[in-house]
Amino acid sequence: MNHIGADFMKKLIAVIIILSGAVLMLDAQQKTVTGKVFCSGTRQPLAGAEVEIKGTGNTVKTDEGGFYSLNVQEGEVLIFRCSGRRSREITVGTSDVVNAELDIDYAGLENDIETGYGLRRKSKITGTITKIEGSALRNIPVTTVDIALQGRAPGLFIGQVNGKVAAMSRIMIRGTSSVYATSQPLFIIDGIPISAESVNFSGAPVNPFTTVITSDIESVEILRDASSAAIYGARGANGVIIINTRKGYSGDTRIDFTVRSGFSEPSRLREFMNADEYVTYLREAAKNGDLMFDRYFGYEPGTITFCRDEIENRLKTYSGWAAVINNSGRFLRSEVSTDWQDLAFKKGRIWSADLSARGGNEKLRYSAGSSYLRNDGILVSNGIEKMSARMRIDNKVSRLIDLGFSLSINRAGINQVSPDNDYSSPLQLVAQAPITPPRDENDELSSFPVTSYYNALLDVEYTSRKITEYRSLANGYINLNIMEGLSWKNEVGFDLYSNKENARYGEKTMEGLGRSGYGFANQGQNQNITGRSILLYNSRINDIVLNSLLGAEFQHTSVETMYTEGERFASDALKTIASAGWISGGSSTLANYGFLAGFFRVNADKDGKYLLSLSGRVEGSSRFGKNNKCGFFPGISAGWIITEEKFMSAVSFLSFLKVKAGYGIAGNSGFGNYWHLGLYNSDNYDDVQGLVPGQVANPDLKWESLKEINGGIEFGFIKDRISGEIVIYRRKATDILLEEEIPSMTGYQSMIKNSGAIQNKGFEFGLNTINKTGSFEWKTGLIFSFNRNEVLSLGRNNLLDFGGENYMNVAMTGYPIGSFYGAEYAGVDYNTGDALWYINEKDVNGEIINPGKTTSNFKSANYVILGNPNPEYTGAITNTLSYRGFELVFTFQGVAGNKIHLAGDRWMASNGFWVDNQLKSQLRSWKTKGDITDVPQARLLWENGNQSRSSRYLSDGSYLKLRDVALSYTVPSGIISKLNIRNLQLFVQGRNLLTITRYEGWDPEVSADFMVNNIFSGIDFYSAPQPRTVIFGITLGF
Amino acid sequence: MKKSIILTTVVLPVMAMLMTACDWLLEPEPSQSVSEELALTTDANVKSVLNGAYSLFNEPGIYGGNILRNAELLAGNGEIKWVNEETYYEPYEFFTKTISAENQEVYIQWRDSYRVINAVNNVLSALDVVKPADRTWVEGEALFLRALVYFDLVRFFALPYEAGTINNQYGVPLILKPVRLINDEIYKGRNTVEEVYSQIITDLGDAAELLPDENGIFATRGAAMALLARVFLQKGDYQNARYAANEVISSGKYSLLPAYADIFNRNEPTKEDIFVAKIAYPREYNAMTVSFSSSAYGGYGFIEILDGHINIYPSGDKRAEMFYMDNGALRCGKWNNIYGCVNLIRLSEMFLIRAECNLRLGPPYVGASPVDDYNEVHVRAGLPAAGSVILDDIILERRCELAFEGHRIHDIKRLKQSIGVWGYKNPKLVFPVPAREIRNNPALQSQQNAGY
Repeated sequence: MNHIGADFMKKLIAVIIILSGAVLMLDAQQKTVTGKVFCSGTRQPLAGAEVEIKGTGNTVKTDEGGFYSLNVQEGEVLIFRCSGRRSREITVGTSDVVNAELDIDYAGLENDIETGYGLRRKSKITGTITKIEGSALRNIPVTTVDIALQGRAPGLFIGQVNGKVAAMSRIMIRGTSSVYATSQPLFIIDGIPISAESVNFSGAPVNPFTTVITSDIESVEILRDASSAAIYGARGANGVIIINTRKGYSGDTRIDFTVRSGFSEPSRLREFMNADEYVTYLREAAKNGDLMFDRYFGYEPGTITFCRDEIENRLKTYSGWAAVINNSGRFLRSEVSTDWQDLAFKKGRIWSADLSARGGNEKLRYSAGSSYLRNDGILVSNGIEKMSARMRIDNKVSRLIDLGFSLSINRAGINQVSPDNDYSSPLQLVAQAPITPPRDENDELSSFPVTSYYNALLDVEYTSRKITEYRSLANGYINLNIMEGLSWKNEVGFDLYSNKENARYGEKTMEGLGRSGYGFANQGQNQNITGRSILLYNSRINDIVLNSLLGAEFQHTSVETMYTEGERFASDALKTIASAGWISGGSSTLANYGFLAGFFRVNADKDGKYLLSLSGRVEGSSRFGKNNKCGFFPGISAGWIITEEKFMSAVSFLSFLKVKAGYGIAGNSGFGNYWHLGLYNSDNYDDVQGLVPGQVANPDLKWESLKEINGGIEFGFIKDRISGEIVIYRRKATDILLEEEIPSMTGYQSMIKNSGAIQNKGFEFGLNTINKTGSFEWKTGLIFSFNRNEVLSLGRNNLLDFGGENYMNVAMTGYPIGSFYGAEYAGVDYNTGDALWYINEKDVNGEIINPGKTTSNFKSANYVILGNPNPEYTGAITNTLSYRGFELVFTFQGVAGNKIHLAGDRWMASNGFWVDNQLKSQLRSWKTKGDITDVPQARLLWENGNQSRSSRYLSDGSYLKLRDVALSYTVPSGIISKLNIRNLQLFVQGRNLLTITRYEGWDPEVSADFMVNNIFSGIDFYSAPQPRTVIFGITLGF
Repeated sequence: MKKSIILTTVVLPVMAMLMTACDWLLEPEPSQSVSEELALTTDANVKSVLNGAYSLFNEPGIYGGNILRNAELLAGNGEIKWVNEETYYEPYEFFTKTISAENQEVYIQWRDSYRVINAVNNVLSALDVVKPADRTWVEGEALFLRALVYFDLVRFFALPYEAGTINNQYGVPLILKPVRLINDEIYKGRNTVEEVYSQIITDLGDAAELLPDENGIFATRGAAMALLARVFLQKGDYQNARYAANEVISSGKYSLLPAYADIFNRNEPTKEDIFVAKIAYPREYNAMTVSFSSSAYGGYGFIEILDGHINIYPSGDKRAEMFYMDNGALRCGKWNNIYGCVNLIRLSEMFLIRAECNLRLGPPYVGASPVDDYNEVHVRAGLPAAGSVILDDIILERRCELAFEGHRIHDIKRLKQSIGVWGYKNPKLVFPVPAREIRNNPALQSQQNAGY
């Protein structure tokens, strides 16, 4: 036993020694691995690629030839990363050579994306966020940055209201979710939530983004779903658009200089009658009008000549000096045929230039730039001149501290024109008679009564309406990198958006008439201060990587206005109110509001394939009542990168597949200040000041709440040469603010209450393909989205109808918000020439009891829902073709499923109801018994189908526009490097070159600017079309 | 450990900073308006709210004129004509007694009345912050306004008060506390006519105690007494009416103007006016002038006077000279100043109330004999003094003296007369509760007036 035992022990010890030796040997098997990193496609070596030993942080970079060398042990994992390539992990085996071929990152999966208060790699994002590279927006010939985003993200709808320079736009992500509150997304520029409400007082509203830079944008991120936007709490419900400007970098200074010049013209025109057609048509209408009077009074046909006499008088008057009259004094014709539409427009010139410089070193990086733009616009007396300058410095003070500042100053001077519904709005000129010469014998502008309406050209010559807007954005931050993985970020931002207007209306203008001229001066200012403090903590628990943040944020905004007005000027040359004979009015206003929030987010990543994001924000606002001062807005989303699973490695055609789903609650507090307070307003008795109860308190008033489920997949095929995403969502907004009637014996008539609900659901699809690589390259990007809106509840009402006789947008439960509600036009009675409508009488169940039955009496026609002003389908397709230095990019963008109310057509397509010039289409009007036509008989002064609330004046708003075309040539660097030029590019860029539509008005991209809100949209009322623009430019880089 | 220290040193100061910012950020005071909390916390503010109550009382829809116009249209039959039948049809419905429950003019009268009531209820709720020395008149004025408004509400929106019966017919909802919140408590139904009258009399009695004799254009003890006389007369309580009218006359604060025409179209009240609604130039307008006068005086001439009215005046009556021709239309010259005061209570009415009550009750007369009081008014109109009077003489004198000042319809109801085919209790002579109010208040749903 002992013997055996000793032997055994010897052997055992030997084994242990050998084994431990082996272990020691293994431990010592640190070896040098070398290898080459190269492109999987071209086999070209990749210089500067990173090679990291996973989990250690040890990193080396490849040299010019793509080679690296690194001490590793067998079994360790190397991570290869290179900008523009998919990263790759390779386990070190027995070989001393580890080569890595990296695929091109066609889908941008390795890019960092701003998710709000922090970045995350695109492949790891579980919400729905679109990133738009600034380079794609650089040369688009637009005046405001919002318009440049048209057709660049699924689910994002942007429509400019008309073709005035700096016109407002409607911006919506996944539809409208409000009635009285805003439906515009939150805009954040370099961390500052900016004031995005129009502040001007006179003329058409100015787009608040006019004073936001359009050049030097690094990227725009669009947070579409509520699980992403919940981190923005009480203001995230409409989505968030984050714009970041370009930063400096460490390296040689780069200077870029771009100049552009071009022109614009109206993209579409309408056809109006010429002088002969007008005279003939009006006479026919007058004859028929008289016959109607005869019939009404029971006289012999031909007895009454009232209409004919009136029209002959007017024709004579309207043609002024151009009248040709026979011996008996009867008007024969006019010597002129004026194209008034042509007089409303001009060919607009555009000039712009950008200069930027970027550079720095490891410690200090800077980026600076300035821009200039002048755009005359396509309407007479319209135009804009913009200037901006910006500067950004980032400084790494020490290992502990980073800090930085940025400042941008923007100024826009606008010659503003009136809103669309104003007689002085240029396009209202089309109402004038074509027989009227624009100028009289003395070359003075014709005016009333020679012109049938106020001659808007008088405003061009005798009105100046100068709006100067300024925006200063400043921010500063200091980051403390407290320890590995823990940093503390503090930031303050300041947005000063101000507006100065000087309007002066000469004594001949409509505003100045009868009071020797009129003028006013107005100033408005939105001052917005924000601050935030965020702790960021990156950690790892076992194999779960956690990125966490905890922060607090405040915003304080004050909105001030002041104005003064005066009249009785001794001369039109006196421009300011100081010279007014009578200062007739003045006022000033001030409002403050604030937000205060605390928030957190945890992003978890297990094995690089199981992803979870959890966020929450507690937010209070001055706009909420005391019973609901704070809201909690959580967001949760999860994702699974299936292609990271072992079992998927066999599926080689699938390069990326992620499924994701999320749920979030976000708020909307874009409504009035002090709506929750009991308020007293001032009111005098016998000129002694008094206070009267004006608003009853609603201490329960709170944010509108949006709950959204969002889910989808992201995919990549054939090494990501085909990539994209499909997302579906359902968002339900509840606690929608509505004005509710209350018994007036309380002393009040109504109060604003959280009581409605609106739902949007839809899907979004994005696809990017690399069709051809090599020296000739062809890429395609496609986006498509569908959204269905439904008003679920309007509190105690089923219908909100504020349209009166002229407009027909309503909110009705069960239908999309803003739906058109009016009489259904049934064409023309071929026996009588009467306009007909369907009676559409409904029984108690809402079923139409007499389908097809018509009436010629408008009042007997029941209103029905006739269409939706908001498109259900939106999409765009962008193709990029490049060959050697040439690149051609063109984008078609379109919408479908919406209708537009031609509200102005009740005047210009009224089959001769009044003396407005008519569209040529009215020549089709019913003439004799048996005529089959869609235009009723022309009858002066007799309403015959020209009632506005009728489907006669609805037109299909679907369109497909060749939105942007850019052709550029980059001169090969070999040629220019001798001249010390880094980059030389020549380009030509066009916008709105082609519009394919069945729309009958000027431009289907329209929403009359005097009446745009959640209910009223898709109205065309003498609204100018979008310009068609072509610019030529050159970029020089040193 | 280190982390928790960092978290404490970093997070706590930040949180503390944010807490201090809380009020500034989350509770900013408005600038164009005053919050409820502030409006009723100082002496000066409460007085401003009282003045605000007057500005509401002065709205054109009520005492700025239209409450008188509505009364005249309701009484109109053969004496006046409303000319804008189509374009401005809602007042025309009063004239034709075909009022719809949706009539906006009815709604405006109801709404504006209750706005005054809510304002004065707010004043009454905050008397404790008023300087003790001023508390009496502040309370008195508030009570006076409330009584004035309720008296017109109950006269327009309820069947007439019938003396000697239990007046439990529907009156109007009595709201006596300010509304600060919209909760279940605000949905009140109608009180009875009796309850409303008794509240009015209580308020006026208190007001008369509290108010001073002189108070500028604001309510005085005389105004409260005079209104009380009118309320008692409407109730058929001649004893008290006589007493109250006598108090006003014997106070010596008021006197009849020698010339009848001088009373009207004045920018300031005269010695004869006991209470007026004052119209501020140029912001406001006298709504009676808008309806009654021609465009030469800033009116629209909606109402023309017919011969049927002129015929009631005896010849030589200077009051008939108030009427003038304007482009073929006869108009009432009492309302020719768009900025003139709306005469709400005048001294001559007090003489006529005292005369009527003395006559009805018989001797011993209070103050003066009926014929003397009658003659005070009658002779001023340029007519010979009467030797004796009967009730009909006094009633006719009221029609002539107080024509187109909003009295006639209430006299018809009080005297149980009729207007054409419409008897004094005809529901068509009572305004409907506005349909909007019934829609929005379940408590009113079964309480609409008969006939609507």
